[in-house]
Amino acid sequence: MMPPVLAETEETRDGNLFNMHPYRLLWRFFRYARPYRGWVATALTLLPVAALLQLWQPLLIQQAVDHHLLPGRAEGFGAILLLFLLLILGQFAVGYLQSAVNTLLGQRLVRDMRRELFAHLLRMDAAFFAHNASGRLTNRISNDTEAVSQMISAGMINLLGDLLLLLGIAVSMVLLSPRLSLVTLVALPIIVLGTLYITRRMRTIQRKGRLLQARMAGHLTEEVEGRETIRLFHSQAKNRATYDGMNRAYLETALQANFFEAFQFSFIDATSTVVIALLFWYGGFLYGDAGISIGVVVAFIDYIRRLFFPIREISGKFTTMQSAITALERIFALLDTAPGIVDHEPVQVLRPPVKGAIAFRQLHFRYGSEPVLQGIELHIAPGERIAVVGPTGAGKSSLIKLLNRTYEPQQGMIAIDGVDIRRLPLAQLRRLVGMVQQETFLFAGSVAENIHLGDPEITPERVRQAAEETGAMAFIASLPQGLATPLAERGVNLSAGQRQLLGITRVLAFQPRILVMDEATSSVDTLSERLIQEAVERLMAGRTSLIIAHRLSTILHADRIIVLSGGRIAEQGSHTSLLAHDGLYARLYALQFAEGREQAVDGVG
Amino acid sequence: MSESPRRTPPLRWRLRHILPYYRQNLWAFVLGFLLLVATSATAALIPYLMKLATEALTHRGTNDTLQETVLILILVALLNAILRIRSRTHIFAIGRQVEYALRKAYHAKLLSLDAAFFNRSKTGDLVARGNTDVLAVRMFIGPGFLQVANTAMVYAVTLPVMIALNPTLTFLALLPFPIILGLTRLLTTRLYRLSRAVADRFGLFSGFVQEAVAGMAVIRAHAREEDWQRRFADEVQEIYSAQMRHTRLQSLFGPLVLLAGGAGIWIILLVGGQEVMTGHLTVGDFVAFSGYLAILVWPTVGFGWILTVLQRGLAALERISQVLDTEPFALLPGEQGHALPKVTLARGEIRVRGLHFAHNEPILHGIDLQLPAGSFVGLAGRIGCGKTTLLHCLARLYAVPEGTVWLDGQDLLSVPEEALRQTVALAQQESFLFSTTIRENMTLGSPNASEAEIWEAARMACFDEEICRFPDQLDTLVGERGITLSGGQRQRLSLARALLMDPAVLLLDDIFSSVDARTEARILDNIHALADSRRRTIILVCHRTAALHRAEAIYLLEKGRIAAQGTHAELMRNAPLYQSLHQQMIRHEALESLQ
Ligand SMILES: Nc1ncnc2c1ncn2[C@@H]1O[C@H](COP(=O)(O)OP(=O)(O)OP(=O)(O)O)[C@@H](O)[C@H]1O
Ligand SMILES: Nc1ncnc2c1ncn2[C@@H]1O[C@H](COP(=O)(O)OP(=O)(O)OP(=O)(O)O)[C@@H](O)[C@H]1O
Ligand SMILES: [Mg+2]
Ligand SMILES: [Mg+2]
Repeated sequence: MMPPVLAETEETRDGNLFNMHPYRLLWRFFRYARPYRGWVATALTLLPVAALLQLWQPLLIQQAVDHHLLPGRAEGFGAILLLFLLLILGQFAVGYLQSAVNTLLGQRLVRDMRRELFAHLLRMDAAFFAHNASGRLTNRISNDTEAVSQMISAGMINLLGDLLLLLGIAVSMVLLSPRLSLVTLVALPIIVLGTLYITRRMRTIQRKGRLLQARMAGHLTEEVEGRETIRLFHSQAKNRATYDGMNRAYLETALQANFFEAFQFSFIDATSTVVIALLFWYGGFLYGDAGISIGVVVAFIDYIRRLFFPIREISGKFTTMQSAITALERIFALLDTAPGIVDHEPVQVLRPPVKGAIAFRQLHFRYGSEPVLQGIELHIAPGERIAVVGPTGAGKSSLIKLLNRTYEPQQGMIAIDGVDIRRLPLAQLRRLVGMVQQETFLFAGSVAENIHLGDPEITPERVRQAAEETGAMAFIASLPQGLATPLAERGVNLSAGQRQLLGITRVLAFQPRILVMDEATSSVDTLSERLIQEAVERLMAGRTSLIIAHRLSTILHADRIIVLSGGRIAEQGSHTSLLAHDGLYARLYALQFAEGREQAVDGVG
Repeated sequence: MSESPRRTPPLRWRLRHILPYYRQNLWAFVLGFLLLVATSATAALIPYLMKLATEALTHRGTNDTLQETVLILILVALLNAILRIRSRTHIFAIGRQVEYALRKAYHAKLLSLDAAFFNRSKTGDLVARGNTDVLAVRMFIGPGFLQVANTAMVYAVTLPVMIALNPTLTFLALLPFPIILGLTRLLTTRLYRLSRAVADRFGLFSGFVQEAVAGMAVIRAHAREEDWQRRFADEVQEIYSAQMRHTRLQSLFGPLVLLAGGAGIWIILLVGGQEVMTGHLTVGDFVAFSGYLAILVWPTVGFGWILTVLQRGLAALERISQVLDTEPFALLPGEQGHALPKVTLARGEIRVRGLHFAHNEPILHGIDLQLPAGSFVGLAGRIGCGKTTLLHCLARLYAVPEGTVWLDGQDLLSVPEEALRQTVALAQQESFLFSTTIRENMTLGSPNASEAEIWEAARMACFDEEICRFPDQLDTLVGERGITLSGGQRQRLSLARALLMDPAVLLLDDIFSSVDARTEARILDNIHALADSRRRTIILVCHRTAALHRAEAIYLLEKGRIAAQGTHAELMRNAPLYQSLHQQMIRHEALESLQ
């Protein structure tokens, strides 16, 4: 298994993980354009039109010079002027359309791609998230897709247009004068070699730059999330130094990139002038020969200017394309990572009423190389209340994470009402098993939203009722806007206990058949805990429950207590039988009871 | 933080955070400008040389003149290229330097800000500001300056030449330009708002994704995927719409400027054509003129483009400025250096007088505490009564008013940050771990701790045995937020981190919530031993009041007030709330119900 990631993302080094050929990548990418065939067609049709509008202009000038200006003939000149005017107006309209349509296409493709990426993330399993820095995943959806949109709106289609223009210009030039066109050939090797060299250098530099950028973003994210810790432990100086190191390295790559960009920009320009110079020189020889008039030379100059502009653009767009292609690679690599936990065929839907019998059969589980659970064999009857206790790190949380298929065991299986949970549709399984996790996660949204989580089935009354049952209403009512009070990110404007209480309320509002609580009352006071217990008793009457707790007070109500230690079930039985057994449970219990005795002496008695 | 401004504020004010960089780099800008002048001058020579060449060609002059002109043309082109590379790298480098500095300033600012600020911000959005927005500002400074200067230069050099050639024609050819520029100005004001909207949307979007990824476990555990997919789709649609509103206007720019160029040529053809026919103008002049116009068109196109970039940059700058303008409540260590005398705090005496604290609603009401150095006190109360808030005030994570909290007789607000952090350590209720190794997480506050000290702190937190069981021991990676550790392991790691600081004041916020009874008892023994040494002031917050037995005093908080105080025994006698909070009650009841 992969090591857990660092905030800085290894994988942004891109390229080496997957060796899909760029063309296959692009081909695959084109599929996203399928729904927008109409727009693509429009964009493509506009290309030759735009090229035509451009190419026609020098021809008109040539005609004007040769047939009207030099001979001094005025008739027919008006028509040329009119045509020219129409051309530039047309160019304006087509230019606008092109820009708008290209951006529209780019944005639509990216919109679809983002949706697909997000949908994919929603299908991924916990192990995936444990091993992929969240900053990196966010980056895929926001920035990488943006690069792809750039490719469409500023790159690909225009590139086609440029190529088309280039071709058109070349053809016109050859038609106008094949011999003068030869001169232009001189520039070809210079430009090809130069561009190749620059693009190659730029690629390495840009990759390095992007890696550093991603690292900085990851670093920043973690710092924002851990800002209190940084403050408390006064590690600002260290953090600043680390960030500065990356920032500086980024500056250096950026300065390198600058040079190549400037070089790319200028050398093509210079080449174009040199070619024009050569044209004059060669024209000097040929002048007077058939077909080489002064108008032709003038038109040629114009063509060459127009010829080199797309060339310069193309090499610029190459760079955009390059970064877009690496972004695409990363996006597709993410899309190609299959979710580890999916419905197994044939899917078997449990028909209500679900009784809630659970069987763990010979479970073995590990995250990495160290075994976490070993040979767990546990059968839970419908409606049974099970408590799981054990030292920290024993594997309690891991055990219940297997029950709703957050993780999947390497060996053994779990069945609910006799059906292998892998055969149950995931959505059904997860609605069946209501899980209060050890750490409550709250979203930035209203309190009510955090309880119903957008499920229309959970009506406002049900929300209110659940909140009242668990006693959460007491504090919710004191919030400025009650249930509609907005919570900050991760609910940091509530106290830890309040957050936990909300977490429980949420699960109870969902009214699951099987309730799993992982240390769900660890951060609440005794009074609240009692309220919660009563609520659970009421709401879960007759339903199966699995409760993990360190505080023995929480578990005394259980029908059966499972003692987990070192990933194995060490003991199980009722409170009294376990006490009689005088094992780990008896010792744990004695510890808490001992305090009671001490307190009984000097306290209430 | 995302409302768009009603009125566009004055430029100077909008640029306040980068103006200093402009001043710092003044000479660099001047040099860059001179390079640009040289570049433009050589560039302006080129059409003139072409005119000469054309004339040499038409007049069938000696091939010598033609060849000479051609040679000069080539040389000038090369010179121009070199100058252009120099000027571009030089000017872009300034932008990069400023980007570096701005990023650094932003990062430093974020590290210095406090809870009040972060409570109203979204992580994803803050990160987007430090990333995408800084990039946009860089475009503003480097390419922005280049383009503006370049356009100015090109005009300054080219115009006189054109005028010298033929004033009327120049005038006529340039006629469309000001009209276009006027239109552009109109557009940019609108574009500014639209691009600000796009940037804000993008920030919100990143925030949304960031949060969804962070809360993925909850989304999946409740099978809420569809709902989130829908919300995401809406979010994406919003960005799309904002983007398209922007595009609709933005797409006008390029074509508009091209139109200006085209119109210029057309006018040259119309007017100049007449003159060539009548012999007032040579064909060479005509070629030169269209050449000059071509030179003018692209910088003007660039100018149009850069106006958008400038708008985007300004919008981004404003988003960054919002953060840079926020002030932390306490002075930064650097600024304090000379403002405050050096103090040595070591004893750890805490005095609180009439402390009121509010977030939006009042939370603490007139708290009074008097903790002599070396005391061991407990803090109890129901959920949300203000225990954590009080500890945060004592650790100066929240802004306490002046004259309410004293540490060793010194007002907490005037204690230098570094001294404060070495004196006061807080193990938070919800630990935050960074995605590095256990060691790095532990030594966060004491980078120079020795191996033995690290293990000792781990032992005190009862974490040493488990560390030994990890394959990489102290160098085990813990994943984001410590995801690969169990709940109890995370909690003890964060306790060990605080213990390693060896502080005079140790604030422990509910540190037993995720550990089992046996581990709890062992940690508690270690804490008692610490308390007995009387070298530390310890405040222990705990829901399990049983753990507070040995505390010298227990303060019972109720709705932000100290409702009662005394030893465990006293409170059990006098405070009904404390009695009912005491675990034992429940346990007895439960036991009875079992029998
Ligand atoms: N995502 C993970 N990746 C790798 N290892 C993990 C992961 N989660 C937990 N572990 C390891 O598995 C072991 C069991 O963890 P688990 O969370 O199941 O313990 P627990 O019994 O719930 O403990 P606690 O009472 O402290 O919550 C621990 O040693 C822990 O370090
Ligand atoms: N950042 C915040 N913004 C606004 N209100 C807050 C914020 N943090 C806490 N509160 C409110 O202040 C009150 C006290 O919270 P605090 O976290 O101090 O409680 P606590 O005593 O530590 O509770 P617990 O035992 O649950 O940890 C609560 O009502 C809570 O809703
Ligand atoms: Mg656990
Ligand atoms: Mg608290």
